Amino acid sequence: MAGSGQELKGHLDVLLLATLAAGPRHGYAVKEALREGSGGRFDLPTGTIYPALHRLEEAGLIAGSWSAVDGRRRRTYRLTVAGERRLHADRGNWREFATAVTALLEPGPWPATS
Amino acid sequence: MAGHELIDGHLAALARRLPAGAVGELADGLTETWEHHLGAGLPPAAAARAAIAEFGAPEQIVAAFVAAAPGRRTARMLLATGPLVGACWGATLLAAGARAWPAPAPAAALVVAAVLLAVVAALVVAATSRRSYRRTRLGAAGGCALIALDATMLTAVLLLAPGPAWPMLLAVPASLARIGLTARALPAALTR
Repeated sequence: MAGSGQELKGHLDVLLLATLAAGPRHGYAVKEALREGSGGRFDLPTGTIYPALHRLEEAGLIAGSWSAVDGRRRRTYRLTVAGERRLHADRGNWREFATAVTALLEPGPWPATS
Repeated sequence: MAGHELIDGHLAALARRLPAGAVGELADGLTETWEHHLGAGLPPAAAARAAIAEFGAPEQIVAAFVAAAPGRRTARMLLATGPLVGACWGATLLAAGARAWPAPAPAAALVVAAVLLAVVAALVVAATSRRSYRRTRLGAAGGCALIALDATMLTAVLLLAPGPAWPMLLAVPASLARIGLTARALPAALTR
C-alpha cells in the first residue's frame, strides 16, 4: 500500500519487534508477517524493511546472524532481551492509548457537564 | 547468481549505491520474492517484474537506507551538540587569556579553526543527505576528526593554560563526553 509507510510512522519499530516475538525471521519473512498480520494493510516495499531492521539491531533490540540457504547468504534476526523488554513496554503503552482513543471516538451518550 | 537478468540488473543498480553487506541481504530477499512468484505459477520474466515491484524502486530503497544510516545519525548528533561544546571552549579560551599564550598558539589556532570548518561542512553534507549513502559516510570521517580536535583542545589546555579557568569545568567534561559518544557511534558508522 502506497501510504502505509507514512501511516506506520512511529509504530514501525514495535511492529517489527512483534513480528519477531514468535521466533527468528529473515527480512522477507518479517515483511510477510507484517503484511499477513495486518490483513494486507501494512504492505511495505520489501527493500525498505532492511534498513529499519539494521536500525533496531544497532539499538541492541534485535540481533542478526548470517547463514547459508540455497547457496545464498541470509541474515536472520531474533529479539534480544532488551528487545523483548521494549516490546512488552510498548504493548502496554499501546493498549492504554488505544483504549483511550476508542473511548473518545466511539459514538455514545456523553455525560452532560454543567 | 542463478537469478533472472531483471533481478540481477536491479541488484546491480542497488550495489552501485549501497554497501556490500546490505546488497548481500537485499539479494537474498529479492531472489526469495522472485521464487515466491515463480512458485505461484508466473513465468520467469513476469515473476521478476512482480518481485521488483514488490521489492521497491532503487531510489526508494536507497532513500530508506540513507534515512537510517548511522553516519547520518552521528552527523546530526554532532551538529546538534557542537554549538554547546564550541561555546564552552570559546568561554574557556577567553577566560584563560589564550591570546597571551606562547607561540605556536596563534598558528595552531588557525589550523584548528580550518579543520573545524571542514568538519562542520562534512557533517552538514552527511546530515542532509537524502539520496546518497556515500555522503552519509562523511559523518564517520567528521566524527573521527572531531575526536582528534577534542583531544587537541584538551592537550592544549593542559599544556599551555597558565592556570585553571572556571569554564574549563564545562569544556573539559563536554569534550570528554563528546569523545565517548562519538567513539560509541563510530563502529556502526564506519562498518555499515
